[in-house]
Amino acid sequence: MSELLKSLSPVWRWGIIALSTLLILFLPIPGNAAEPVERSFQIEASQFAYSPAILSVNPGDRVTIELLATDVVHGLSIDGYDLETTSDPGQTAHLTFVADHQGSFRFRCTVTCGNLHPFMIGKLQVGQNELLWRGALLAGLALFAAIWGARK
Amino acid sequence: MRKEWIARSVILVFVAAAITISMVAWQARSRGVVIHARMAETGGWNPESLTVEVGRPLHLRLTSDDVMHSFAIGKSDEPPVDVIPGEITEVTLTFDEPGKYTFYCTRWCSVNHWRMRGTVEVTGPEAAAEAVEPPLYVTLGLDIDAEHHADVIPERRPSASLGAQLGAEIPTDYQSREYYRSHSPADLWQALRDEASLSSLTNQDLWDLVALTWQSNTTPQDLSAGQQLYTNNCAACHGETGAGDGVFSDDLKQPKTGEHAEMQAGEMTARPTDFTDAEHMLAASPARLQGKVLRGGMGTGMPYWGPIFTKEQTWALIAYIWTFQFKLEDAP
Amino acid sequence: MNKFQEIALKEMFSPNARETEISSQPAIPRRINLHQIPWIRPLLQSHWPQFLIRSLTLAGFAFTIFAGLFGSRVGSHNFAIIFVWIAWWTALKLAFIPLGGRSWCSVCPIPLPGEWLQQGGILEKSRRRFGLNLRWPKRLRGSWLQSGGFLVIGLFSAVTLTDARLTAWVLMALFGLAIILSLVFERRAFCSYVCPIGGFTGIYAKTAPVEVRVIDTAICAAHSEKTCYHNCPWGLYPVALRDSAQCGLCMECLRSCPSDNIAVNLRPFGTDLAAGNKGMRQSSRLDETFLALVMLGSALAFAAVLTGPWGSLKSAAFAIGSPAWLLYGFGLLVLNLVILPGAFALAVWSGQRWSGGKVQLRRAIANQAQILLPLGLFAWIAFTVSFAFPKMNYVFSVIFDPLGWGWNLFGTANSTWSPDVSAFSPGLQVALLLVGLFWSVSVAQRLALTNTGRTLRQILPLLAFCLAFSLAMLWLLVG
Repeated sequence: MSELLKSLSPVWRWGIIALSTLLILFLPIPGNAAEPVERSFQIEASQFAYSPAILSVNPGDRVTIELLATDVVHGLSIDGYDLETTSDPGQTAHLTFVADHQGSFRFRCTVTCGNLHPFMIGKLQVGQNELLWRGALLAGLALFAAIWGARK
Repeated sequence: MRKEWIARSVILVFVAAAITISMVAWQARSRGVVIHARMAETGGWNPESLTVEVGRPLHLRLTSDDVMHSFAIGKSDEPPVDVIPGEITEVTLTFDEPGKYTFYCTRWCSVNHWRMRGTVEVTGPEAAAEAVEPPLYVTLGLDIDAEHHADVIPERRPSASLGAQLGAEIPTDYQSREYYRSHSPADLWQALRDEASLSSLTNQDLWDLVALTWQSNTTPQDLSAGQQLYTNNCAACHGETGAGDGVFSDDLKQPKTGEHAEMQAGEMTARPTDFTDAEHMLAASPARLQGKVLRGGMGTGMPYWGPIFTKEQTWALIAYIWTFQFKLEDAP
Repeated sequence: MNKFQEIALKEMFSPNARETEISSQPAIPRRINLHQIPWIRPLLQSHWPQFLIRSLTLAGFAFTIFAGLFGSRVGSHNFAIIFVWIAWWTALKLAFIPLGGRSWCSVCPIPLPGEWLQQGGILEKSRRRFGLNLRWPKRLRGSWLQSGGFLVIGLFSAVTLTDARLTAWVLMALFGLAIILSLVFERRAFCSYVCPIGGFTGIYAKTAPVEVRVIDTAICAAHSEKTCYHNCPWGLYPVALRDSAQCGLCMECLRSCPSDNIAVNLRPFGTDLAAGNKGMRQSSRLDETFLALVMLGSALAFAAVLTGPWGSLKSAAFAIGSPAWLLYGFGLLVLNLVILPGAFALAVWSGQRWSGGKVQLRRAIANQAQILLPLGLFAWIAFTVSFAFPKMNYVFSVIFDPLGWGWNLFGTANSTWSPDVSAFSPGLQVALLLVGLFWSVSVAQRLALTNTGRTLRQILPLLAFCLAFSLAMLWLLVG
């Protein structure tokens, strides 16, 4: 096998690498075919964290986030979803949406709540994090390509 | 050498420009009243006392140095104005009557948010001294700090609509506003129990009649206004469900120690009242509640809302608080 | 092209050449001498363009300090915070370093007063000079202090990045320190040995496509005065420049060479790394290795603390002096002083063992640090994309209201437009990390090729190290 690998000309090598890249980028990753359900999360927002900070849902789920600020006014907006809400302490805010975008999305505070406000971050995981998987596979491919592609 | 002098001038000009802009800006910002808002623990309003002549507009520029605040004048119809960190909000106020007005923060910014208050002294020709009517609990001679509990409590939450369906005659004395304000639900229940014409009704039925009476002394508009007041001002400590489990209730359970101990010197804060506790609430009259709301908790951490709420607002809020005990919606 | 081959030949047989792997000789990479391009040449020759830029950065620096001290305490509305930690940092990581190497150093305002005092003038030197001009102590040479400085930044980052006053004080402290060091030591001692920014800018400059090099060493050999050396504020000897880590691109040597024998070359990326300059002595030192590792560890730490969802970690990093913060600091130091250096050393050692190589461990570690440079550079670029892109709208709003005092200089201060970068930002970060990994592995491959023996075995543990780091960054940023 290694003889075969070594004998291929650079054109062939890079062709194979390119093909593998395309495969990794576009091959569908088997996700769980779970039925979309209604989910509800109660998130407490304090300086400077959400609790819970990591939410996991399946694609298609109808998600309700109940945001309750516990010390000062906080907000929540989700990257990749055009949603935003604000909660004053003692006033739970509700946000309902359908998780139709798949992947890992950060959600952030939208009301200046103190020094670390720009770093008040949580994570919404919808289904498989395809970007992470494909990125990891591509990293392996990059390693292989850098070694093999350059060999004489 | 000429090159050197040109170079030195360039540096001087550029750096001087930067500094001059800064200095000019520094001067410019001092014009006009700028109020900086901070959480009560780190200073509150700065400045916290203002003076203006009656009838003269007062231009205020408000900014926050830390978190979201809001600015409103107590007992006034002026809508609150958000005070946003790093940004300036402007508001112009004109006062028609001389006197001392309180301004306060209306968006919760810490457990001591309610202490964020300041005063506006409006000077002018002394208006005719109005007789200041003392609050009802004072007139009644009520000790609002005294212990109170109901001997008999309902099995389920009393409902005004069920009470209406009973079709019973409640003596008119008991339906008056004065009676409502000065008596507790337990008082009314006992009075109804002693009423011969109602002796066929069960205890629970009588509680429903009490709820009905309570409902007749308020309006849906008042309940709605009261709910808004409760949500904005009370829910943070007393809880959205009135159970005394609001987001700050844990902070209030024990006395504060540490760097902010001076704020609570001599105080022993206490857990916020549970409005869903029937034994406790049903033995309280609206006047007692009004007293607590106006005067505050004398060291328990309960704010005093006297300078903030108008009379109408206070009664509306109290009417809403009863909804934690009674179902006050209209009959279908 | 003839000259380059002559240089290569000379270097191969000169007594100065240390151990160099001499096997196959690839073609000398192309260089484009910017100094010879007609419209660029006057810009480099004249002092004025660079001087004007530096005056601007100095004025900006003064204004930044003022904004930090007296402006709004709210970080997102203070020019100091936004322009230092978002605008300038992004420009540094995405443009100055990858494209220009140590180019920021050529316009940095911090060493200016020191330089003027040392020279006795701004553009013209005079006899009245200030400063003791001592040599920098030998023990403190290298980038050890800079690595330490960067770790200190990491310990206090949560507060410094968010407190405008503290940012201003840090800038003033660096400014003051630079002046003091200029009055005691010769040349740009602060920049070379103390400035934390200078540290990593230097090592990453080895990957950048810009360099200053001598054209014909024969001319230098015949020139006794060595005006280039005397004029270099960095104390470098251009003829001996082997990599771009120490050269601050100030162009003084260029201007003072009587034979026009110094070039500012555009070159392919990464030519200072491993066998890029075949036959040239590679300079890689243990201190540079350590700094490269600190940069990797800091990238992981900053990504975890600032862009991760772990609130307790952020609070710990913020509560300076508390037990939680001590724990955080301890973890940071263990990662940077023990775990990463240990893993790297282990990877180098096992690679050497496995392939039967006879190289000393210390030298191998120093040499193979070059592999870490593209990895770290792109990890930091990816982190900067993740950290700064969602906050870019603050840059615009702070230009119009730099002090948070309610100015509205161009009428758009309160626009709440914020760019939705989430569509492309994660993909971009992944792409950047992949480029860094690929490049690092290529460097490892080339470095190993120069050794006789089994190249793959020698670098396999190192590849595992690089892959592990990349996967960790990947997970932290987009996981």
